Amino acid sequence: MTGCCGCCTALKPRYKRLVDSIFPDNPEDGLVKDNMQKLVYYGTSKPEKLDRIGQYLEQRLSRDVTRSRTGYVSISMEALDQLLLACHAHSNLFVESFLKMVHKTLESPEPQLQILASQSFVKFANIEEDTPSYHRSYDFFVSKFSSMCHSSAEPETTRIRIRVAGLHGLQGIVKKTVSDDLQVNIWDPVHMNKIIPSLLYSLQGCNMDNDPESPKEDESPGVVAEMVLRDLVCRATFGNITSVLKPVLQHLDYHKLWVPNKFAVKIFRILMYSVQDQYGHMVVHHLMSHLDAHNKDEPRVKAGIVDVVSETVVIAAGGSVGPSVLEVFNTLLRHLKSSVSVQTSDRQRVLDEKNFQEAVINTIGEFANNLPDYQKIEIMMFVMGKVPLLDLEEDVSSGDRKDTLLQTMLLKTMLKVATKYRTVLMINAFPPAFLDPLLRMSLAYDAGIRLIVQEILHTLLDRHDNSGKLKFVSENSDTITWIPKDIQALNLTVEKASQQDIFFIKKNGPQFYSCIYENMLQENNKVDNFEALYCTLALLSIELGGEDILVDLVRLAMGIQNISVSSDLPVTHTCAIHAIVAAYLNLIGQLSAIPNMCTHVSEIIDARKNKAPHLLPDFAFNRSNTEQSYPTSTNVKDELLFDQAVINEALTSRGYDTSTLGTPFTISRLSQSRLGRMDSWFAETSSGSWLQDEVDMAHSTSDIHSITLSIDSSSSSQTPLMGQRGQAPEDITFESLKKIITEDDVERKRSQEMKQKAILEKFQTAPFEQIVAKIDAESMVFQNKLSEILTTISDENKDNAPQHQTTAVFDMQFPDLYVY
Amino acid sequence: MEDYKYLFKVVLIGNAGVGKTCLVRRFTQGLFPPGQGATIGVDFMIKTVEVDGDKVKLQIWDTAGQERFRCITQSYYRSANALILVYDITCQPTFDCLPNWIKEIDTYASSKVLTYLVGNKSDRLLHREIPAEIGEHFAKQHSMRYLETSAKEAENVDRLFTEIAVELTKQAKENFLRPRQDSTSGKVGMPNGGSSPVGGLSCCKLN
Ligand SMILES: Nc1nc2c(ncn2[C@@H]2O[C@H](COP(=O)(O)OP(=O)(O)OP(=O)(O)O)[C@@H](O)[C@H]2O)c(=O)[nH]1
Ligand SMILES: [Mg+2]
Repeated sequence: MTGCCGCCTALKPRYKRLVDSIFPDNPEDGLVKDNMQKLVYYGTSKPEKLDRIGQYLEQRLSRDVTRSRTGYVSISMEALDQLLLACHAHSNLFVESFLKMVHKTLESPEPQLQILASQSFVKFANIEEDTPSYHRSYDFFVSKFSSMCHSSAEPETTRIRIRVAGLHGLQGIVKKTVSDDLQVNIWDPVHMNKIIPSLLYSLQGCNMDNDPESPKEDESPGVVAEMVLRDLVCRATFGNITSVLKPVLQHLDYHKLWVPNKFAVKIFRILMYSVQDQYGHMVVHHLMSHLDAHNKDEPRVKAGIVDVVSETVVIAAGGSVGPSVLEVFNTLLRHLKSSVSVQTSDRQRVLDEKNFQEAVINTIGEFANNLPDYQKIEIMMFVMGKVPLLDLEEDVSSGDRKDTLLQTMLLKTMLKVATKYRTVLMINAFPPAFLDPLLRMSLAYDAGIRLIVQEILHTLLDRHDNSGKLKFVSENSDTITWIPKDIQALNLTVEKASQQDIFFIKKNGPQFYSCIYENMLQENNKVDNFEALYCTLALLSIELGGEDILVDLVRLAMGIQNISVSSDLPVTHTCAIHAIVAAYLNLIGQLSAIPNMCTHVSEIIDARKNKAPHLLPDFAFNRSNTEQSYPTSTNVKDELLFDQAVINEALTSRGYDTSTLGTPFTISRLSQSRLGRMDSWFAETSSGSWLQDEVDMAHSTSDIHSITLSIDSSSSSQTPLMGQRGQAPEDITFESLKKIITEDDVERKRSQEMKQKAILEKFQTAPFEQIVAKIDAESMVFQNKLSEILTTISDENKDNAPQHQTTAVFDMQFPDLYVY
Repeated sequence: MEDYKYLFKVVLIGNAGVGKTCLVRRFTQGLFPPGQGATIGVDFMIKTVEVDGDKVKLQIWDTAGQERFRCITQSYYRSANALILVYDITCQPTFDCLPNWIKEIDTYASSKVLTYLVGNKSDRLLHREIPAEIGEHFAKQHSMRYLETSAKEAENVDRLFTEIAVELTKQAKENFLRPRQDSTSGKVGMPNGGSSPVGGLSCCKLN
């Protein structure tokens, strides 16, 4: 130490003199750098003196803070920072002194000092302490930094600097504590409830869109807050993600940020992009709980929340939406249901509820979009299970309109999911447990509902983007004739159906056909309904058609034509039906390239063009028609009808077996009950030869169908059909199990040997589809056997269980048995 | 190296516009700020008072009354040693909200917290809507202490904070004899023994 030592300084210990020497006479001059180096050297070489140095500096600083001598406080802080960097490893006590000084400085009302202190704190936070003091408390720092994030100091530049300093301070605390379990638990709600709202408030303040204005963008509160939030969230684990999410949701509530929800969406995007993948579902889960908590709230708020869910789910796609998928759907459907049941005459409210319902449906769609395809079908079945089953013939006035509305909403939901599904094999898109109730629903009383069901069918059937080309209405409907001489004009994409699809349609065709048929009969059909039915018909032919079912399709078309002759439907309906038949026969005739049929069809069409244009789509589907546009008589001359005999011959000449063609579809709306309807539906099909190989077709088929019916009638109308499966095990006894096992064994041994031999060959030679189809067939043989056994068992148990019920359950499971 | 013996946290709550910030500034700065704007989030002030010769530091958290900040303000209740619940004697609605505030306190504050009910703006006698007895009665019902203040006329403001400091110091001394765990901070309410005082700091003179 050079220079003169007055007696005053001489009395002071060396460390105090060293400290004093770093302060210039004029605080403007800043830290005396040379002396500071000496102090640092002294500190590192005599670590035992560090505590004293710290205490002495603390004393000086405290005095300067109290006297608002900002310049000197800055110098003290700078000195402390340097000492800390150089010597922290040597003294925990020094760190404590340091923190006390930061604390003290933060208490000052001087913005400059607060900012300084925050910066020092950040420097401290960046230091890795070897042995941090584990009883250190950061309470004050969290409280103070959070408060700074809300600073309303003037002028604005100062305010922003204080806020940014607060944010950096918070980040420092997080950094310091988050990775060390022994440190203060920063995830404790006590802290998070301060930190999170402060971050959000800072984010809120920043302009979300027009960034370019502020010059030093990377230091704006919004930008810093987002960085801190991401930093925090990415470290959150299963145990503490909740303490982040709760204040987020609360903050959004208090600041009314669900309507509009732009900010909420922004925040949840940040959360989803930063949270560890495996916890993404927690975010969704909390949003759902929040929705529950808001159940009684305005629909606008709920719509805002649900909308955020959908945005969130999109991002969750990468990770797992997790185990809560069904729970989420359940919650959403529950809200849908409760919204539908709201009764109000307030028009705004009605509108709001509607928007909420839309939002829910959209969200379910987004959700489903992120699921693998097989789960989409499961989801649709799940939704289907929620659809209230109304008596199909029930008049709306007597039935519950709420239920119709709910049905509509649920079906819209299914449609949303269905559009996200990409059909490969029909059998996968339409598992029986899904197809059955869906087709049942296609006969709902409400025309709107029927339309949605057809749309679901369209999107699932249509693998080649054809449905758009099959609608009679179209932007450029002027230029397109719906019955082109050459269907190439329609630009359809047609691919030959796979073996499996042919299996599928042979098995399920009758159900489809009779549904379409019955749909044609509905008196409350609108143009849209007819158009949709045509589209379904056409899609069936395009996607699944081919030689195997051509006769069935023609028979259906002829059956439909007969409706208009034998029913008392209004003229608008019969015209539409005739138009559909014309367009349809033209389509399948050309698709299957049967010249004589094509000739006949085009002759009739030409005749209609001249004499009865109202029997063709261009007229019949013209939505600007008025009652006056239609002819008064519904009678159609035979020469304008398609002649069964001619078509029959055309088919026969091409080697088709047309023996069934003569059996007409009949109108059979005798019974008004649902059961009755089903009866007619199946009676219809059983009279045909859908089941070629059965000896006594009529009997066996009506048997199985009546059984299916009885299950239908015996199950409560609330139970979804697919729920039936669950009952099966109840009928299995020990004895039966034993039987199954032994039978099973023998069967397996035998088939195993066969398989082993065959497999090699097959896989070497056959194309993939054939292999799959073959395997399917084999498993059917096995199912066949198994169900035979089960039937026997149930016969034995006749006394205990109602026979039809038991059998029905098994039939439900093994319907293949009766077809092949 | 502390400049105080006891440190207490005091949190002010109550509807927007009842005068919380004015009370704090009157106490800490000795002035009545013209055109005081609404508080954003939470504000912080410090003031050291003397109780029986001991320096007692009051850390004062002044919360925003606006509902939208409830999320952040609630988080400050828990560590409070004293709460000052303020209403405006000239504004019935601020009194009517008191039960809600009590609920908030019950939910978020420590059960032992010392609570004062303060009817502010007592200078506006002509506009009074809540008679003093009503306020006092309500306070009694909910085991709160009661005072009427005027930040404008400096009426009862020092008294309010001093009473709090005295009472908390008394409690702290009792607790020191029977130490209890305070999870929020090792230091709050505990005497800060063994440190030599720093000269000339009876209070933080601001500006
Ligand atoms: N006459 C009179 N007016 C007062 C008194 N105290 C506050 N005011 C006025 O009341 C208004 C609100 O005062 P603030 O202190 O900002 O109220 P606050 O409770 O802090 O409000 P928030 O921060 O929004 O929660 C201001 O216009 C003050 O001038 C008082 O004692 N007497
Ligand atoms: Mg205020």
